[in-house]
Amino acid sequence: MQNTVLDAPPNMSLDFFAYPFIFAAIYFQAFLLVTFLSAPAVASRRRVASTKTPLVAMIVPCYNEEKTVRGTVESLLALDYPKDQLRIILVNDGSIDGTAAVMDSFAHEPQVTVIHQKNQGKHVALNAGIEAVPNAELIGCLDADSFVEAGALREMIGCFDDPQVGASTAAMSVHKPSNTLERMQNAEYILGIALRHILATVNGLYVTPGPFSVYRRDVVVELGGFRNGHNTEDMEMALRIQRAGYAIDSAPLARVFTKAPRSVPALVKQRTRWTTGFLRNMMNEYRDLVGNPQYGALGLIVLPLGFLAIIGGIIMFLLVAYQTVKHIVETFFLTSGVPVAYTLSTFVPNAETLQWFYLPVSIMALLAFIALAGSLLFMVVGKSISKTPGSMSAGIIGYLLLYGLIAPFWLIRAVADVATSNKRSWR
Amino acid sequence: MSLFARNALIALAITIAIIATVLYAVNFLNQQRVAELRTIEDQLATDTLSIETQFALLEEAPCEDISAGTTLSQEVGGIGDKLAYAEEHAGADDPDVLRLKERYTLLQIRDYLLTKRLSETCGVKPTVALYFYSNVPGECDNCDRAGYALSYLRQTYPTLRVYSFDYHLDLAALRTLISVLKVEPNFPAFVIQGKRTYGFSTLEELEKAFPKSLFATSTSSTTKPR
Repeated sequence: MQNTVLDAPPNMSLDFFAYPFIFAAIYFQAFLLVTFLSAPAVASRRRVASTKTPLVAMIVPCYNEEKTVRGTVESLLALDYPKDQLRIILVNDGSIDGTAAVMDSFAHEPQVTVIHQKNQGKHVALNAGIEAVPNAELIGCLDADSFVEAGALREMIGCFDDPQVGASTAAMSVHKPSNTLERMQNAEYILGIALRHILATVNGLYVTPGPFSVYRRDVVVELGGFRNGHNTEDMEMALRIQRAGYAIDSAPLARVFTKAPRSVPALVKQRTRWTTGFLRNMMNEYRDLVGNPQYGALGLIVLPLGFLAIIGGIIMFLLVAYQTVKHIVETFFLTSGVPVAYTLSTFVPNAETLQWFYLPVSIMALLAFIALAGSLLFMVVGKSISKTPGSMSAGIIGYLLLYGLIAPFWLIRAVADVATSNKRSWR
Repeated sequence: MSLFARNALIALAITIAIIATVLYAVNFLNQQRVAELRTIEDQLATDTLSIETQFALLEEAPCEDISAGTTLSQEVGGIGDKLAYAEEHAGADDPDVLRLKERYTLLQIRDYLLTKRLSETCGVKPTVALYFYSNVPGECDNCDRAGYALSYLRQTYPTLRVYSFDYHLDLAALRTLISVLKVEPNFPAFVIQGKRTYGFSTLEELEKAFPKSLFATSTSSTTKPR
């Protein structure tokens, strides 16, 4: 029977390309759920803040962050930790704004050491900080646009009771999100809290985020300090820690707020750097980790699915874009010559079209809905286990509406950069 | 077995269970759609009988008692859309869908014949358009557009009675109708007020095939164009 209904015709051949990615997404979420409910994950959630007070050096590498570095240092000074066991190393990486003056204004604090160096990159700044406190047991790295809560360090220190743990990650969320883009990223960061908590249970983390991570100093020194790591020094260090056989833990109650890009171009630039960093590390120095059973969840699930997520994100976007354009063109072709008022009236639901009979349910739609619902579930989990303050509703709506539209741009840009060996600046 | 291996296997089982459930649910929904169509079968049968009865009455009753014309029930009026949707989701080869399509086609033919008889016997002059389409890929690139244009005309001019037929439907009565009307397999094909026309370019061109009286009248109609 000739179809005259204005809905997208099924296109099995194109859907076929999307199924593997939907399957992978659902499998990953099922794995996360099972791991979240496992005894080790439950035990880690019950872990209380440590009362131990090893000597900790908190390093703040900084380049042109005059507006935020004061707040960063003040949050460190307010940490609930014995002052004689906490060193704060501010490393000015050749800033050309007022950063040096702000940093120097803290030089009178007995805990604070200020280092000025010519601009050599974040990894060099971090290594300078590590060298400045040779007797520290733990090294904390805090970006100069991030702010820790008072109890964050104690939450992190508990992770190092296990001697195999070489590093620990914190619970990041966006600092005072105000616009839609920031709220969207906040929801995504909160999802990240859940992911890191769960994947840490099976030692599946491949990044120790720059905003706030703590390392065992001996491990960092043993591994030769930080490297540029294709502009993702935090990922490169995490991968090196994993390859050396150490574990990376996560402290979901170690709260850190960080500034997030406020505009789409800034976000795309930041995420392009992250994605190219992942691809370049994986395709070069750390290729041996991918698919390697020796690295368990990291080698067999997390890293391969990281690749798949990039490729899948691009393919799914192109499929949806193609089908949308095709549908628009077909609708235009179908309705050309017929008064627009009639065409518009066919889009208005009526008693006939609202019957359950016309419920637009397909295998692809249901599977995509389940995958999306899984993401939302883990956002709620992330907020719950980290006790992140504030409402997430606007962020979730922004995430649902915007993320799928913006993410493909940095994914495509990153793949193109890697394919053409194009190098971009950090900022 | 390590925690990772155990979780990976359980996750695989859960994923397979989810996908199996989704496949079952979608299939179940499609079956329910077909079941919904079956419930309309009774109405189809009643309407077919009603038309037969009107045919018989026409032999004895004065024209003025019947000349208001036939009106298929509201339930049957929507079956065309539902059949199209079921074809799309359950497949055009689904035996239930095919059977209903055949019955619906028969009903349309009967209604067309009664309308024609009324026209001849009682002088009722409804505008009648028969539309023949093909679902064979590549055989009718403009059938979607033609069907859409007819939908518009039918809604805009309620006195227009449109009967739409899948040319390749394997139904003896339809084959006979095609033979009697001498409709060639050039699609889309129209028989408007007894005149055959082929192809579709624009709505304006199609409108030229209809009598001008159509565009100045307004009464009820019967079946929907597909």
